[in-house]
Amino acid sequence: MSETSGPQAAHAVHPAPQGFVRRYLFSTDHKVIAKQYLAIALFWAVVGGLSAFLIRWQLAWPGEPVIGSGLLPEAFWDGDSWLAQSLQYGSIPAEFYNKLFTMHGTIMVFFVAMPLLLGALGNFLIPLMVGARDMAFPRLNMLSVWTLAVASVILLISFFVPGGAAASGWTAYPPLSAVPELSEVNWGQNLWLIAVALEFASFLMGGINFLTTTVNLRAPGLSLFRLPIMVWFQCIAAVLFMLSVGPLIAGAVMLLLDRLAGTSFFIPSGGGEPLLWQHLFWFFGHPEVYVIMIPGMAAALEILPVFSRKPLFGYRLIVYATFAAGFLSFIVWAHHMFQSGMDPRLAMPFSITTILISVPFALMVFAMIATLWGGVIRFPTPMLFALGVLGVFIMGGLSGIFNGSAPADIYIHDTYFVVAHFHYTLFAATFFGGFAAIYYWFPKMFGRMLNDTLGKIHFWWTFIAFNATFLPMHLVGLGGMMRRIANPLNYDFLQPLQPLNVWISISAFVLMLGQLVFVVNFFWSLVAGRRAEANPWQANTLEWSTASPPPHHNFDTIPTVYRGPYEYSPPGVAEDWLPQHRPLVGGPAATA
Amino acid sequence: MQREATHAVAPAVPVPAAKLGMWWFLASEIVTFGGIIVAYLVFRLAHPQWLEEAAHLSVPIATFNTLVLLTSSLTMVLAFAAVDRGDERRVATWLALTVALGLVFVLVKAYEWRHEIAAGRVPGESGFWGFYYGMTGLHALHVLGGVVVNACLLIAALRRRLEPIAHRVEMAGLYWHFVDIVWIFLFPLLYLSTH
Amino acid sequence: MEAHAHPNYVAIWVWLLILALFSVMITAVPMPHPLMVTVVFVVAAVKAILVALYYMHLRFEQLLIYSLALAPLICLAVLLLVLLPDIVYHP
Repeated sequence: MSETSGPQAAHAVHPAPQGFVRRYLFSTDHKVIAKQYLAIALFWAVVGGLSAFLIRWQLAWPGEPVIGSGLLPEAFWDGDSWLAQSLQYGSIPAEFYNKLFTMHGTIMVFFVAMPLLLGALGNFLIPLMVGARDMAFPRLNMLSVWTLAVASVILLISFFVPGGAAASGWTAYPPLSAVPELSEVNWGQNLWLIAVALEFASFLMGGINFLTTTVNLRAPGLSLFRLPIMVWFQCIAAVLFMLSVGPLIAGAVMLLLDRLAGTSFFIPSGGGEPLLWQHLFWFFGHPEVYVIMIPGMAAALEILPVFSRKPLFGYRLIVYATFAAGFLSFIVWAHHMFQSGMDPRLAMPFSITTILISVPFALMVFAMIATLWGGVIRFPTPMLFALGVLGVFIMGGLSGIFNGSAPADIYIHDTYFVVAHFHYTLFAATFFGGFAAIYYWFPKMFGRMLNDTLGKIHFWWTFIAFNATFLPMHLVGLGGMMRRIANPLNYDFLQPLQPLNVWISISAFVLMLGQLVFVVNFFWSLVAGRRAEANPWQANTLEWSTASPPPHHNFDTIPTVYRGPYEYSPPGVAEDWLPQHRPLVGGPAATA
Repeated sequence: MQREATHAVAPAVPVPAAKLGMWWFLASEIVTFGGIIVAYLVFRLAHPQWLEEAAHLSVPIATFNTLVLLTSSLTMVLAFAAVDRGDERRVATWLALTVALGLVFVLVKAYEWRHEIAAGRVPGESGFWGFYYGMTGLHALHVLGGVVVNACLLIAALRRRLEPIAHRVEMAGLYWHFVDIVWIFLFPLLYLSTH
Repeated sequence: MEAHAHPNYVAIWVWLLILALFSVMITAVPMPHPLMVTVVFVVAAVKAILVALYYMHLRFEQLLIYSLALAPLICLAVLLLVLLPDIVYHP
């Protein structure tokens, strides 16, 4: 084997590149790439949040002009600008509402959650946590983030093409998505398919790096069961993604052919089968939920022991449980389709596997609680958000059991109960997990601390407003309100729920407003935050053994690892932490 | 896996990074092609009448193409063996043959497509033809991609710059054989089992 | 490079050609359709396994590479099993 692919080559110290373009745009440095992913995720989070704002506005006050639209002159609304065409004199037409919820889902899942939790966290942490100088394939890494950038541009363009953005839901069920005449969206849907396929390609390339770096570039002494949970979970997520996405890529090509080449894979009038798409979509879609969720859980699992000053409870159990969950995630997908008209004989087996999959996740939750038990708990902002993951995820898991059992699901399918459920799971992972990670690793990423007081305000604001938004949504759903309807007032039986809808919308606006605290904190701390020392949280894992921010080559000398990542308050040591790379002479842990 | 502290740089069983990456890529390709093949399988089982449509396809031409692709796999693996021996001239010869055979395959495929389309059997004609064009098209694109990669390697080999491409020939070979395997299944799926 | 010697690639190629021609000729032999289909696909599987084991050197690879090749097939089998009742055998 040629030496260019050997592990030694990746451990060689390369001088940092000079010049703006090589350093910040076309960089092969995993730390810069992670920040690029972070920037993409935060940009899309704003767009996704704006679409959520419009959705909630419409549901609370259907047909009313959006707040602030009155500031624009009548002449503007008479014009043919994009905004004037989309909003009719400031109010949201049903066609535009369809685009809003379609793009909200697409953006939040594919362009916020994945870039944030896999792109930014995985890229930043894996090389630092395994003690490597960079990813195994740095140029491929650069290609993956730039593929995502191209996908982002295409998705952005799709808003502005004639006919507007896709309007068939983030699941793009045919025949609505396959026949342009049905949704009156032509290029918007084509570009949607291309953008999503490119996003898949981007994360397939990224996943190669996650696995290869972890397999090949670990520091001396870093055996598999000394890896931080974050590294395990990122690799498992990457494998789940890779194994599940293929059929959907094939499906996306087939759907594109249906739209462009006149085939009818999914169009019933031409002999096609719409159910096939649903199967292909959810065969990917359900593992995808875990692809997003487990890195968010991993952030909480990393943070909880640090601020409890206790070892993580059941390290191996957590790893095995996640393998089990990953395996099971491939045989649960049809629980999304109980109401689709699929063969009813499939309902029972898929209900059972769905209930089964709650076992590994319950184990994970118990491990989290047991880690806290009897610890010397501190409550800086990252810990608050990590606890937020725990609390919110328990709620999401519980409502998932209702959705997973066919008899209950037949009643609540496609109602706001489901919407509340997946916001409780994915919001837990993406936002609480993502914010926990940002508050925790910001010092390592940027060399400065985020303001803790603002952070605490941000947490409590987010936590309270989040629950005020999504807890009542369960009730609205049980009351029978369907997803994806543009005007609940059109239905008599939904009239009594309208005050609750108004409450939810106001809470959602408060929730969005609270994120401004984070934005201010982020940018203010970036330039004026307190400078961070190498190990501000007194944590054990390898990323804290190097400077904050780490130099271009990460480690001046590759550390040697002597123990697992969670040895807090070990006996026989003066401090209450014991970094993975610190040799102990004569101590009890020296032989561990 | 070993658990004691060691002093090797890579503590696990070392797998060459490029090979691991390549197999990752191939695994994602297996599920992609597998997805469309599984879809075709269930549709074919659900529509016995596709038998008659499949009977329009030319088995002799497809058999010829099968032999071409199988042979190109041989030339590719011989190029890899020549790399192992450091035999630059042979590497170039075998790579050139592989590229040529790949091009023959694509040209024959194009002829076949032209013939079918001229006879009015276009993608929208029926479910079977949608799958036929979808699957063979996706496969032909992969063959073309392989031809381009192999041609680049051939140019490097002709310039006597074997050292930097040595392990790339192996990786390109893995890809090429994978494309061959896909065809090994497409051949009976589409052409054989027709009566 | 790997420590193993190269297998006899030409012999494997000869086998592949024989198998390919065999599967074409078998379709001309009168026999029940299910049997013919079975034979044709078993032959295809044997050809694929030959290529994977010897041309792609899977025979000489470690567990990790092996699992990367096998895991997708298991996923596809699951997908196929669930699609069968829905699209083929639905009432």
